[in-house]
Formats: sequence, C-alpha cells, structure tokens
Amino acid sequence: MKPVTFLLREQWSGILLAVVLGIVALSIANPTFNTEFNWFVLLRSICVVALAAFSQMIMLGVGQMNLSVGALGGLVAILVGGLMDAWGVPAIPAASIAVLVGGGAGLLNGWLTVRTGINGFVVTLATASAFTGINLGLTRAVPFYHLPADFVAFGNGRIGAFPLLMIVPIIVTALLAIFLNRTVKGRHLLAVGGNSNAAELSGISVSRTIMLAHCLSGLIAAIAGVLAVAQLGSAQPTIGSDWLIISFAAPIIGGASLSGGSVSITGTVVAVVLIGLIQNAMVLLAVDPYWVTFLLGSLILAAVWINRIRTVRMERAQ
Amino acid sequence: MTTQVQSSSGASISITGLLTRGSTQFGLLIILSVLWTVFASLSPGFLSTFNLNSLGRSVAVDVVVGFAQMVVLATGGMNLSVGAIGVCSVMLAGYFLQVLGLPIPLAIAGTLAFGGVLGWLNGIAITKTGVNSFVVTLATASLFSGGMLILSHGVPLNGLPSEIGAFGKATVGPVPALAVVALAIGGLLYILFAHSVLGRQILSVGANSRAAEMSGIPVSRVIVFVHVLSGVLAAAAALMLTARLGAAMPAVAGDDWLLPSFLAPVIGGTSLAGGAASVIGTILGALLVSTIRSGLLILQFASFWLQFFLGVFLLAAILLQRYRSVLSAREQTRQA
Repeated sequence: MKPVTFLLREQWSGILLAVVLGIVALSIANPTFNTEFNWFVLLRSICVVALAAFSQMIMLGVGQMNLSVGALGGLVAILVGGLMDAWGVPAIPAASIAVLVGGGAGLLNGWLTVRTGINGFVVTLATASAFTGINLGLTRAVPFYHLPADFVAFGNGRIGAFPLLMIVPIIVTALLAIFLNRTVKGRHLLAVGGNSNAAELSGISVSRTIMLAHCLSGLIAAIAGVLAVAQLGSAQPTIGSDWLIISFAAPIIGGASLSGGSVSITGTVVAVVLIGLIQNAMVLLAVDPYWVTFLLGSLILAAVWINRIRTVRMERAQ
Repeated sequence: MTTQVQSSSGASISITGLLTRGSTQFGLLIILSVLWTVFASLSPGFLSTFNLNSLGRSVAVDVVVGFAQMVVLATGGMNLSVGAIGVCSVMLAGYFLQVLGLPIPLAIAGTLAFGGVLGWLNGIAITKTGVNSFVVTLATASLFSGGMLILSHGVPLNGLPSEIGAFGKATVGPVPALAVVALAIGGLLYILFAHSVLGRQILSVGANSRAAEMSGIPVSRVIVFVHVLSGVLAAAAALMLTARLGAAMPAVAGDDWLLPSFLAPVIGGTSLAGGAASVIGTILGALLVSTIRSGLLILQFASFWLQFFLGVFLLAAILLQRYRSVLSAREQTRQA
C-alpha cells in the first residue's frame, strides 16, 4: 500500500491534516508560536491530557465508560502530594504508592461493575463522587505546596523543547500499543468490547477482562494525577475536575468506537495534540478561553458525524 | 408508580423484608422516616421551620433536575447536558428580565421555550446521526456552556425584579411555593406516564426500541420529544433556582447538576436500561439526597465529606436495588 493511500484510509488522517494546517497557520499568525519555549509549554501541557485520554480509551475499548477518571486522578494527586509534603516520603516511593492506590481504586470500580452487573456508568458516577469526597474531606480543599525539589525539577525540566515530563506518556503509549496489539490479554480486551457474548463463548472470561480494563484505566489515570502534580509544582485538590470531557473527546475524535472493540492509539495521540494546539492558540491569540470548551464540543460532534458518514458509506460499498 | 412488575409475595412484615421486597418507593419512605427521626433526635434544629423551609426549597429544584434526567432515562438514553441547559436558561432568564426588562410571564415562557429548543437540538442530533445519546449530549453540554460563557463573559446578573426573589421565598400555607411548583410538574409528568398514549410510547421505546418501531411507534419522534421535554424541565429547574437565589449566576448548575440529576431518578427506581420511570420515586430520591445533605450540615459534619457520603449512598441504593431484583427474580422462578 502506498503511504498516501494508507494515510487517507486511516480515520485520523483528517485530524492530522487539521494539526498540520493549524501549526502552519499559527506560525504565520504569531511569531512566538515557533519559539523553543512555546513548544515546550505546548508539549508539556499535552502529557497529562494524553494519559487521561488513554485511561478512558481503555474503557471505550472494552465497551464501557469510566466517569471517575478525573476524580481518581485528583485523589491520587493529593495522595502523592500528601505523602511527600506531610509524611516526607521521597518522590519515587510516593509516586509508586499513589499509582498503586489508583490501580486499586480502578479494580474497585471493576469489581463493583462485574459483581453487581450494574452499568459501569452509574458505578463510576457514584465512585467518582466518593473519590472526590475523600479528596475534599482529607484536604479540606487546601493544596500541598512543599514538594521535594527533584520532583518539581522533573516537572519543569526540559532538553531543548522536549519536556522531561513527556518521557512518561511516551513509555505508557509504547506499553499500551504492545499490550493492545501484541498480547493475548490485550486482544481479549478488544474482543470483549467488540462482542462480549462471542468472546464469552470463545472461552474468554468477560468479567475478568472488564476488571483488568478498569484496573488499567485506574493505573493510567493515577499516573496522569502524579504528572499533573509534577507539572503544577503543587498538589491541588482541583486536579482532574476538568478531565471528564477531554478524556472522552480525544479517543472519540481519534476514532474510537463507542460500542467498544475498536480504539486507535495514534488517533488518540493526534487528537490530544490537536486539543493542545487549540488551547495554545487561544492563549497566543488572546482569545476568550471559553472558546476552548465550545470548540471541543463542536469537534466531538463533527468527529462522530464524520465517523457515521464513513460507516454508512462502507456499508453501502459492501 | 413503577411500570416494572414487583413481586408482592412473601408477606414478611420485618423491616428488612419490607426493604427488600416492598416497592422501591415504600423502601425509600422507610429509610426517609428513619433518617428524619435520627436527625430530629440528634439535633432539634433539624425540624425548625427555617430548616424545613430551606430543605423544601432546595428539594424542589433537585426534584425538577431529576425529572429532566428521568424522562430521557425512560427511553434508555441519557442527557449529560441537563446542567448546561440549566445554566444557559439561568443566564437567558436574567438577560430577559434585567437587560431587556421583559414582563415576568413573557420571560418565563421565553426561557422555557429556549430550554426546549436546546433539547430539540440534542434530540435531532441523536436521531439524525444515530450516535449514542451519551456522546451527543456530552458534546452539546460543552457547546452550550461554552457558548453561554462566551456571550455572558461569566458575569452574574444581580438586578432582577424583586418579585422573582420574593416568589422564591414565598410559602403556600406551610409549604414553600417552589415545592408546590415541583409537585405540580410531578403531577403533570405522572399523568403523562400513567395515563397518556405518548407516555406509554416513551416507555415502550425504552423497553425495546425495535419492537416499538415494529408496532408502529414513531421512535425518532418520541426520542426528540423526550429531549425537548428534558430541556424544558431543565429550564424550569433553572428558573426555580434563579427565584431561590434571587439572582442569575453562571456558576450555579453545569457540572454540579450531573450527579443530582442521576441520583434522584436512579435511587427512586428508574432504570438506566430504560422502559421504567417513577415520578414518586424521583421525588423521594431527591428528598433523600437533600435530607442527607441537610442533616449532615446541621450535625455540623464537615461539608467537605458531603460529596463522599452522596457517592456512597448512591452506590448503596443501586446495590440494594440490584439485590431486590435478583431476589424477586429468584422468587418468580420458585413460583413458576
């Protein structure tokens, strides 16, 4: 297959084009866009968004939703902050404990969903409220400011325009790509999302797979929470409160099917870059930041609409 | 009123028996009376006229927010933009009254119609694209609240006519006027679901949309209708909130309505799978949530833990309901 036709066949080719055009237009419109520092800011801002999006993408892959992505990320954020500030735990053990707690919270979501047979939507809506409640109850909405210097330095560090923070999402992306494409468990996850009855009949344990997906989603959301703390330099209890829409927007714009079974890591990454670019453009062009919310909504609608047209065409062609 | 068949066998009179076997609404009534007794005995302030009045006014808004979600849940869909339609309506009502100086009835009618139009946009987008209502309303929620903030710049409108605030504080006998409005809306919805063809059509679309389609029900039109209704109800809740606060503030609904809008109907026995709607259950569900909130506040529990308790209560309520349905299914098979 020629590279050009390959690109056109991919669902994310449209958003890639939008990203390229956006970069060209911004470079012309504002000379500060192409400075090294602005690229650093742009790249650093998409690290957390990318992880929040992956956390949701896993759930969309298995055909479920996780409304607690942001609440879980926020809880882990204040946990890692509290461990380092109040308890004096060094950065790496604190981050590891916090991420494990996030995985445990995800497992709790999965266990509740599977054991009760209740729609994951309601379960995670309820646990989201409980997680946010624990967060607010523990912190009384007061952030943790005194974090170890090496931890904050990691959040601010850069090599040229490349933020050190970005190492983490790159590793997660690679592991996720291997997991979903090359491992039996990963294929099982997508099989359950595609058709859970068929998966069950071919000997896959649907409930275990759903629990695995919830656990992974929790782990990734927890990593996002830790990164958000490093990026801000303080553990704010409000971390995660605005992840809900973005976590759905990126995978959906990137071509994930809501009925499950089909996700695109590349598409999600390109969509995250597009969202980051929009946010960056609003700042550079001094546009009302509320436009970001508005544009995000329009993008999701446009993406699902285009996907719909594509499916109808493919059905007709067959 | 629940349209699901409840097993009425097993005439056990024990409280656990009632909780697990009686109707959801009856179980809720028992939980409510237990909570009221506990709160009233722990703190005499709970039953003060002042507290009951403020409780009644906040329940009234929550009930209508719950209705806005319930009518969509009945078709098996959901509306994540209830809060966004709410804030847009709050600000539009403020604009009508303060900036344009429209007479109050006209402003109310205009706001309700506007809520209906936003709901209609949701319904059209869902039926035309065939995309799941979750994603469409997630996107439109972002569109609506973004658009509202761009136009209003997030500035509250405080100079509303004094009649609005006065109505929010008014009482009919001992009952707050806002609660009377909520009950009247509940009465209309009860008639819709229990005694009208359209109501039965909504429930049958929720129970099985293919079967409904085959038996000649215009499924798309029914779905558009419930979204219009949901928009109008969200606008009504917004107007009630404006009256309660006496001002139009952009930060009052939005995300804050997401949880309450699901809590009241789901606790009250409306299933997410569609095909069932309980008006009385939604009222009781909202009352339960507000009772817990008010009780914890009056016992001077740190308000920060409130959200945690609400989440745990929602979980407990759905677990109990799940347990009940498993139990009644088991009993039905035993009888068969």
